This record gives sequence, structure tokens and C-alpha cells, in this order.
Amino acid sequence: MLAYEENPGKVERADLVVGLSSHNNVGNVALPTEQAARGLLDHFGEKNSVIINCDNHSEDGTKEAFLQTPTEIPKIYLSTPPGMVGRGYNLRNLTAKAVELQAQAVIAVDAGVESITPMWIKNLGEPIFAGFGFVAPLYVRHKYDDAVANGIVYPMTRALYGRRVRQPIGGDFAFAGEMAATYLDHPSWNDRVAQFGVDIWMTTLAMCQGVPICQAFVGKPRVSQHDGNIVASDPTFSQVVGTVLDLMVHFQNVWERVKWSKPTAIYGFGMGEVETPAPIEIAQDELHQAFVEGFAQYKDLWETFLPSNINNKLGEIKELPQAQFSFPSEIWARLLYSCSVAYKNEVVEREALLKSLLPLFVGKTLSLIRKTERMSIQQAEEYIENECMIFEEAKPYLLSQWLNDH
Amino acid sequence: MAKILVVDDEEHIRLLYSEELKEEGYDVITAEGGHLLLERIEQDKPDLVVLDIKMVDYNGLDLLQDIRNKFYDLPVILSTAYDTFKEDMKSIAADFYVVKSFDLTELKKKIQMALEASGAS
Repeated sequence: MLAYEENPGKVERADLVVGLSSHNNVGNVALPTEQAARGLLDHFGEKNSVIINCDNHSEDGTKEAFLQTPTEIPKIYLSTPPGMVGRGYNLRNLTAKAVELQAQAVIAVDAGVESITPMWIKNLGEPIFAGFGFVAPLYVRHKYDDAVANGIVYPMTRALYGRRVRQPIGGDFAFAGEMAATYLDHPSWNDRVAQFGVDIWMTTLAMCQGVPICQAFVGKPRVSQHDGNIVASDPTFSQVVGTVLDLMVHFQNVWERVKWSKPTAIYGFGMGEVETPAPIEIAQDELHQAFVEGFAQYKDLWETFLPSNINNKLGEIKELPQAQFSFPSEIWARLLYSCSVAYKNEVVEREALLKSLLPLFVGKTLSLIRKTERMSIQQAEEYIENECMIFEEAKPYLLSQWLNDH
Repeated sequence: MAKILVVDDEEHIRLLYSEELKEEGYDVITAEGGHLLLERIEQDKPDLVVLDIKMVDYNGLDLLQDIRNKFYDLPVILSTAYDTFKEDMKSIAADFYVVKSFDLTELKKKIQMALEASGAS
């Protein structure tokens, strides 16, 4: 899928690679390029480093903006062919180049990130050279930010694979050179991974490989050009959640043996005062409306793959006035587990199942917002941790359904 | 029989935990504080550590970091009189935390869960 490469410094080997994934980021790409270069010089001066822009054949001048950003670190530009767009393709090209360069460590950052500092490079990269195989980011986030991670990906991944990685689809991460070959050769790569499924795919593969995983605290809240709606819309939602479910099917032999969960090592404290994330405005009535409207579109479909007790409960939740809206976590966990079984067995068309899950997820998000609206970030984190325990406690239900329902 | 290391600078807590956990069938060893704790873990190879957060000479959360960096998968349960420690993000590297109490039901439950998660039960 690599169509074009520009390597003006003729770099053939590198210990450390920083990859910037982009698609039409002409206005942003200079900042992470400069910050990455500073981070590499300040903290990895003894290493042989390179910055790679892995791009989706942007036509807005991203390539020129990247290559013309003055840095002391050499740069390489890679691109997919015209029309081949996807974050996963970019990261795959980055990984292949890292293997070619025989890199010991790869740091991947989204070119749209506006809050990156040289410390991100330090804190994501140093654990790899200390022996960790994968480093996930640990940002300070607003309690409503990244709702898909809070409501589905974190609790599911934690309960399934038994490893607590709080931001498993953070977008910025690092991995060891040994993991690169795994990523290139793994048979679970598919069209969803080639898009926005790639982040959870890389995190999950690291968990299933059993490599030591670390969470790197980066201090600053993540601010990205792509920030906006807190509830991911399709097709991003389907790409991410579909990848979680695809990986469940692929790694059944791993997760069926896992009970409860374990923490990961944390890296990067002592960074001084941590910034508070910007407030997020939520239109609760729009979320409520989207949840209720989902019934008109998907109720019949839900009845084909969700157990009747869950369908009945959904009917009760729908009747709740917005001021008393609540989506119990026990129901949510069992609903997601039932969805995953139906997905595995292809009870309904998989893409249709994923689309029908979106309004239910919107309802669950509304419930989470209502429960945590008077809470501090830390209190909301504790609430989400308790939600995760509910997923772990409900895992026997998943196992019984998964193993018995053919 | 799983081996549990109880680290607490209060003798009556070490005694209480030790007696009650031995009654549950665990092999229990104790340490007064963080001095040479990593060496002690290396030598005695416990299956789980119960770690006091506020000791006179040591910060349990710093010790937790050291343990996690050297013994990646060793289960650690934080034991505390107050829950204000949760404001410190270092605490998420612990498997669980319990509030100190003479009723050890919660601690025993968390020990069981942590050992099951690590496959040492």
C-alpha cells in the first residue's frame, strides 16, 4: 500500500522512529514535527532518530509543510496511493518502514494533535528502551471526552484480556521494534483496522502477545484538530467497535482463560502542575432524542439478537423521562456481551448490528453524563472503574453465552 | 499455598493481617517499611503484597512504582486509612485498594481476586 517515499536524508538505519499520521494536515503538521524534533534532541540525543510523516496522499500540501519544517532530525515522507485513505494504512506503512530501518522503538503521534510537547516524546519513548513492549498514553481528559473508550472499549478490553489500559484508543502510543513484525504479519488485519480500528487493534495485539505494557502520563490534555462530537459517529464507531468484536472472535483462546484484571505500570510522573481539560458542552436532549429515535429504526433488529429480558429492559429505559434517564450498567454489560455473541454467530449482518448499537451507546453515554455531571474528573474516573468491575463480574455470562450459543 | 507480604509500619496491623490471613490458609510474611523492600521481594518471592500507603519513612505510592517497574505482574493491594490517595494517579498501578479496618472481609476478597487474576490462587 506504500505508493510514494521521499527520503531526502537517505536514512537507512534508525534506533528511534517518530511517526506522524496525517491526512490533509497542512495547517497542523509543522507543530508536531517541531515538537517531536525537540523531544528527540533533548531526550534521545544519543540515539539515531528519524521523523516519518505517514500520509494518505494529502493534496493540501501536507508533504511540503512537513518536509519544509526546519529540524535537526532527518525526515522521511511516506504516502499511500491516491484514494487509499485510512489511519490504519498510515500506521502500517510506518511499521513497515520501521522494520526496514531496524528501529528499536516507534512512537506514533497523530499529526492533528495540537497539544503535543517534547515531553510526550520522552514519556512515550523511554519506557520502550527500559524494556516495555507497548506504551499507551495517559492523558488528563475531560470526564466526557472519548465516550467510546469510556463506555465500550476500555471496559470490554479490560474484562476480556485482563489488562487495565485506560486509554486504549488514545491515538498516540509507542511500541518496541519486536512488536513491529507482529503487526505486519498478523492475520487479523482487515478493512476496519485499516481505518480507525487500528488503535484498539495495536493495543489488543500487544496485550495478547503478553509483552509488558506501560501507560505513559503525558500531562497535557489531548487537544486535536479532530475533536468535536463526543459520541463517535459512523463509520468511526463501527470501525472501532467492529474491531473489538473481530478481535474477540480471533482471540477467544486468550480471553476465555482470563479472570478479573491487572494494572499496568505507569510512567511519567513529576511533571509539575497538570493542565485542566477544557469544558465540554453536552446537548443532553439531542442524545436522548437519538436514543429514542433508535427504537423506531432498530427495535425489530434488536429483537432478533438480544435476549428478551434485555429488550424488555430497553423498553423500560425508553419510557423514562429525560430528567430521570438511567441506563443500568449491568444491562449495558450484558447487552454488549450479547451483541458480541450475535456478531460471532452472524445472527444478523455484522455491519447492521454495529449500526444498530450506536443509538444504544448514545443512551448509555447520556446515562453516564447524568450520573457524573456533579462529579470531579477523579470521581468520574472512580465511577468508570466501578463500571469496569461490572463488566468483569458479568464475564461468566459472556462465557456461557459465547460457548453455548452456536 | 500463596505467600503474602504485608508491609506496614504499625505492628498491630501487621499482627492482625498476619493472623487473619494465616487462618485463611495463606503463608504470611511481614515487613516494617520500605527499607530494602525490593530486595525482600526478590528474596522471598511473595505472590502478593499488601502495602500501607502512609508509613513514617516511606510513601507507599512511590514504593508501588518501584515494585511495578521491577516486578511487573506482582499483585499489590494498597491499604490505607484514608482514600485521598486516589487523587494521585500513581495509585492506578495498584491491583486494588482497601480501607484499613478490623473487619478484613474486603481485604480477603480483594486478595482472592488479585490472586485469581494472576493465576496464583
